[in-house]
Amino acid sequence: MSMATQGSSVTARLARWALWCAVRHWPEQNRAWGLALAAEIDETASAFETVRWSLGGIMLFTRSVLSSAWAWMKLPAGSSLSGGVDGPGGPSLLPRRSRVFTAVVVAAAAALLILPEGREAIRTVRSSWQEYRQSNSDDGTLNELGVRAEREKDAGTLAFVALRSRDSRRAEDLMERAIGLDPEFIWVYGSRNRSWPNSEPPKVQWLARLQAADPNNAVPYLLEAYQAAGPDVEKRYFGHGAPEDADFEALESNSKWMELMERAYGSLRYDSYFQRDVQLTRKVWNRETNLSPLVVLSGLWSHGIPNLLNLRIFADVEIHEAQKARAAGDLKRAESLLNRVNTFGVRMTDGSETRIEKLIGWAVSLKADKELAALYSSAGKTEDEQRAMARLNEIDERAKEMRYAHNPAHSATALDFRKMARLVQSFAILCVVGAFAAIMGILMVELWPNRIPNAHAVWRKAACLMADYGPAALLVGSVGFLMSFLPFQRAFEEYRALSNGLPDQERLMDAMWGLLEIPEYMTGANASVSTWTIITIALTALLLFVLVHGFLHSRRTAEKPA
Amino acid sequence: MGVRIRLSKQTLQVLDTLLARPGQWLHGYSLSQSTGIPSGTLYPILMRLDKLHWLETRWEESKTPGRPPRHLYRLTGTAREWAREEIRVAQEQHFWKPAEHEA
Repeated sequence: MSMATQGSSVTARLARWALWCAVRHWPEQNRAWGLALAAEIDETASAFETVRWSLGGIMLFTRSVLSSAWAWMKLPAGSSLSGGVDGPGGPSLLPRRSRVFTAVVVAAAAALLILPEGREAIRTVRSSWQEYRQSNSDDGTLNELGVRAEREKDAGTLAFVALRSRDSRRAEDLMERAIGLDPEFIWVYGSRNRSWPNSEPPKVQWLARLQAADPNNAVPYLLEAYQAAGPDVEKRYFGHGAPEDADFEALESNSKWMELMERAYGSLRYDSYFQRDVQLTRKVWNRETNLSPLVVLSGLWSHGIPNLLNLRIFADVEIHEAQKARAAGDLKRAESLLNRVNTFGVRMTDGSETRIEKLIGWAVSLKADKELAALYSSAGKTEDEQRAMARLNEIDERAKEMRYAHNPAHSATALDFRKMARLVQSFAILCVVGAFAAIMGILMVELWPNRIPNAHAVWRKAACLMADYGPAALLVGSVGFLMSFLPFQRAFEEYRALSNGLPDQERLMDAMWGLLEIPEYMTGANASVSTWTIITIALTALLLFVLVHGFLHSRRTAEKPA
Repeated sequence: MGVRIRLSKQTLQVLDTLLARPGQWLHGYSLSQSTGIPSGTLYPILMRLDKLHWLETRWEESKTPGRPPRHLYRLTGTAREWAREEIRVAQEQHFWKPAEHEA
């Protein structure tokens, strides 16, 4: 036998084997035709003919499989091409919708949720269900981003990741790399000040470098001062009601704390670098639009600002010192001390980008101005007293306005977002329930004939209902979810697009907190009340459905001729 | 005439071959050889004709042990008339003409 003939016979054998394999898996409905075709293969005259015949057979097999699959898809879930499923008590119940219909509805819902807007909505709502806690997957995303930024030597992204990473060692590495690449990012030293889950204040050597780079800013001194005093200052201050002379003396005896606080109060600027953090966040988020809003905003939420109580305690120490000077008749020293406190408060209010810092700045000024007004009054300086009183009134008005606007009960935007958040969360729940019902219903109906042959008809009916209406609920939920999430999407877009600091920031926060309100019903103090409310509503809805269904059914039966 | 269907050129070719030996049973492979139509096209045509009841089929027991039985085909009596009519119409409309060796 020549090599060529041997090769052909191997090919022919292979072709024959492939065809018989296909026949074994041929759909039942027309397997006879597969057998008929395969039986002819032994008649072929040459290896080429055998291969050609076999290929034709395999083509026919593919066509048969596809047409069987299509025919199967056109049937309702749970039925088979051999003529449906018969249960013990006669023909089994089957869903009304075909598999194709179900598949199309589920695919449409999935397509909507896979859209970039859908993915962002899912990420945000999922985060709100986890009470905006950074998850392990968020950590993974941040880690990947950090690795890429290291490779690309992207100082901005390195700083961004460093501010958000929960791994302090890794954060420190990234921070050093970012500052090494671009010293402009030295402000990150003062901004990574995580207080949860573990307190991680900025290291003293970082603050020393920051003070050297930004010597006229009060914030690096305030951050170091808090570490120099630590909780001891607060403890002494709050140990027993109003602070007494002994407490002030004890505080003043902490020379390191006093020195740093005096430098802070004497600094020309107050900048907690929040605006820089916001700008960096915007820049990175615009580039990495797939990042979860939680990952993006967690850095802003944990942005380090000086301890505000510590700052107020020093104001009290200074005011106490001024009171002592006034009592001793040294009005000039008293005025100087109070003016310094007042000036610091004004600087803090003007230089800060967060509401709380602005409010504390005003509170510090307010205290100093009150004392100044009293001082001028006792000294008979009426004009100065009136000026101090005017400042007091102005601060009071502005602080009231800000507090009023900040109160979610009064903010129209916050209220709007709360209402919309309810819709978003309801549709999200509908999506989850719909998807769960669809999966459970289809699985139960498909597996029923083999696995649960004697199951009660009620359960089978429930499975059919779930298989019929679950996918539709999922689709309705998905459309509603996306539509109701649009205002939140717009808030994110506006935040990414605009460069206006505080208002965008607050709008975004209103949006995020609005979404958090619903999960709080489930996890907060009133969780049991809300759970029972939901159960009661669900049971009432079910009862109504059963009653209406029963009424309609009995009417239909009555209308039918005997 | 019974069921009028739209016939492809290959189907007309198969009908023409079956009509050439009206009462005789033919195997799939010999039909493929006579018409030059590959198996992947021939069998869907046979399946369609069978579904329309134009075709009679039967299994032929194998004479060689170990070999599977073979399938045989021929046109039914009424189908022969319809097939002739279809072929005539197709030829008149110049849609199809028989292969030269068969003409």
